[in-house]
Amino acid sequence: MKRAFPGACAVVLLLTASGIAQSPPAYRVVPLWPQPLPNHWVLGSVTGVTVDAQDHIWVTHRGADSLEGNEKGMMATPPTSVLCCTAAPFVLEFDANGKLLSNFGGPGQGYQWPQSPGSLAVDAKGNVWVTGSGLEPAPPGGRGRATGANADPDAVPPAGGRGRGDAAARGDAAAGARGADAAAAGRGRGRGPAAPAGPPDAHVLKFARDGKFLLQIGTPGKMEGPDSQTTLNRPAAVAVDAAANEVYVADSGNHRIVVFDSETGAYKRHWGAFGEKPTAAGGGPYDPNAAPARQFRDVTCVELSKDGMVYVCDRTSNRIQVFQKDGKFVKEGIVSKNTMGATVSGQFGVVSSWGSAWDIALSNDPQQQFVFVADGHDKKVIVLRRDTLAEVGGFGTGGRLPGQFLAVGSIATDSRGNVYTGEQHHGKRVQKWVAAGR
Amino acid sequence: MKRPRKVLIGSSLVALLAALGIAQQQLEKIASAQTKSAVQAPKFEVDPMWPKPMPNHWLLGNTIGVGVDSRDHVFIIHRGATLEAKEVYAQENPPASDCCKAAPPVLEFDAEGNYVNAWGGPGQGFEWPGSNHGITPDSKGNLWIGGNGPDDGHILVFTTGGKFVKQFGFAYASAGSNDMWAFNKVAKISLDEGANEAYVADGYGNHRVAVIDMTTGKIKRYWGAYGNKPDDTNLGRYNPNATEPAKQFRNPVHCAVPSNDGLVYVCDRPNDRIQVFTKDGKFQKEVFVEKTTLGDGSVWDIAFSKDAQQKYFYLADGANEKIHVFDRASLTELTSFGDGGRQPGQFYAVHSIATDSKGNIYVTETYRGQRLQKFVFKGLAPVSKKDQGTVWPTRTSTH
Repeated sequence: MKRAFPGACAVVLLLTASGIAQSPPAYRVVPLWPQPLPNHWVLGSVTGVTVDAQDHIWVTHRGADSLEGNEKGMMATPPTSVLCCTAAPFVLEFDANGKLLSNFGGPGQGYQWPQSPGSLAVDAKGNVWVTGSGLEPAPPGGRGRATGANADPDAVPPAGGRGRGDAAARGDAAAGARGADAAAAGRGRGRGPAAPAGPPDAHVLKFARDGKFLLQIGTPGKMEGPDSQTTLNRPAAVAVDAAANEVYVADSGNHRIVVFDSETGAYKRHWGAFGEKPTAAGGGPYDPNAAPARQFRDVTCVELSKDGMVYVCDRTSNRIQVFQKDGKFVKEGIVSKNTMGATVSGQFGVVSSWGSAWDIALSNDPQQQFVFVADGHDKKVIVLRRDTLAEVGGFGTGGRLPGQFLAVGSIATDSRGNVYTGEQHHGKRVQKWVAAGR
Repeated sequence: MKRPRKVLIGSSLVALLAALGIAQQQLEKIASAQTKSAVQAPKFEVDPMWPKPMPNHWLLGNTIGVGVDSRDHVFIIHRGATLEAKEVYAQENPPASDCCKAAPPVLEFDAEGNYVNAWGGPGQGFEWPGSNHGITPDSKGNLWIGGNGPDDGHILVFTTGGKFVKQFGFAYASAGSNDMWAFNKVAKISLDEGANEAYVADGYGNHRVAVIDMTTGKIKRYWGAYGNKPDDTNLGRYNPNATEPAKQFRNPVHCAVPSNDGLVYVCDRPNDRIQVFTKDGKFQKEVFVEKTTLGDGSVWDIAFSKDAQQKYFYLADGANEKIHVFDRASLTELTSFGDGGRQPGQFYAVHSIATDSKGNIYVTETYRGQRLQKFVFKGLAPVSKKDQGTVWPTRTSTH
């Protein structure tokens, strides 16, 4: 093709410089996937995508609280529209052709539905695990931040904090359209998406695939620090080792990986960055020129490889750490080292930047040669060699067209080599990618 | 070494070219098709791979106007400043990422969706709008641009290449709906080039249609709802259960489009209605569209079908996220397509609409939609559903 993509050029240089012969396949988007949702349902901020043993794709999203008033008119009182739209249920199951097969989610008996679902996993028995990765309490007079999480950085605390003025608010109402126009549609400054009131998320939920509640680990609002054997702090993700009956939890707010019995929820073990003891302080502000932090900052993913390793995203540290299942540190890989994980001064004031390593998926070839990193900051997928954790490719750039991303924050692979991505922030999409030439 | 494009467009392009080839014939069949007994309406499918990605890691903000010129080039206008900081890290100093930054306000694409040109913003000799709004090509290679920023009271004309031509009205000068000097937050300008007149949807501040001389910019006549003298009294919120329809337009008056047969179609957006006038402002009739719609209202923008009779018009409804297809003569809705969402063929605040010479539709989305999309004209087809939902190509490749 004629048009030069800066990303592609960079990859070429990198390949040449490092002498790597092996490169991942190129990927192309499947623009018409999944099939349109029924009932005028729309997705909110997509925080989790996973693929089960049947190659069904499971998606979770933040629902109504991440949608703006003028895109959920059917939910308003009175409705501003009878035709469009309303939030889709929180958990959705699709087949490989993008057909919606089932859905569930929301409050029920015996458990507390999260303020903000963080991610999900489906274990070998077909049970669906959902994390509650909602918000840390807002500091007095300040804005809480969703550090936990596959955690949608866009999340806004329910109270105490100042609502984040969404720029869309100004949208078409730039002027003149004040009054009836702006008010009824729920626009206006400071009316950004807000999480529902309630204690902050600190738990993991396990459901049967039909949505029947099975197990809850942790209690919303109850956070007892990184040594706790019973509580969590905004867990972002889970991975299940079916053979060992163990569930690995990326316990973001506690800066640790913690392992529980997947049937009983009983505590097994935990560790922090480099396999060391985690501290409540975590890694502190990220500085690309400083030595690597000995603590995790935001632990936003955990994945198990076929050869028994544990892969962990330390999002705002721009790194992936690899462990044995007993927590012994193996290695780390740095991704886009200069991405800031603190705050930057933006056009609309100071906003947070969120590091590069939001989520990962391992390729599904027998050797799992590649690691796909969802980089919601740079709005692309970065491909690493799994053995060296060196960057060997990537795809996507910013935008709202098929094949582009906003905050791509979740990623999964199926048995056929397809890749699925989910977007937070204003992306609010799931996209499917196939190896080009297939 | 070349890497394959991430996004392959080959198959859809072939399909598109084939569709374009037959579209002209189908247009010509419209008249004869009218005689068939079943209700027929123009049929559309989204082209999911149109336009092609823009260069330079550019993003669109609220995309607030679209127009098609005589070459079937598509022009859009958007507001880069509505992008959020975390979408435009490349604008930080130093850049916090390669991705992304706001594209210039005006962009041009060719019929195949290739990026052609971009320009816009403040310059010498004119007042760039505080919040640009609407873009309309004329036959002489110019673009007519409005603005609804707090101080915008003017219209700008540029060449399609971005050279300033003239400004009508002034910023900081709005003086109400009966002023002959300035406008007040213009939504869109539509042209009657045979009469050398432009119809100004005026707008977000005024409550009128203003007709100007295209050469001098002088206001020749203006009118409010029902052809009344416009009045800027605050009507309060729209109430669908009111005993009688509002006697004035509500803000914004969002389009005022002249037809080939001497009528003017006005989008009275929050009032959920289209009013039809003669060119001299004599009220003819009105129709309500999804009358229970609150908030932004349902009637955002109108484009006519490209047959000589302009038998149909297409109405962009950014509150209900639909394109409504109307029979123009009877003002009856035949069908609709679209739904809320971020996939191809879905909308979040579909705002502006235009058609090309082949009858294809282009739409832009404001708020957080921030896209330009193309719907390919597939000829007339019997109406099977009032609400078609998301209209995807019938042959999909889902692998």
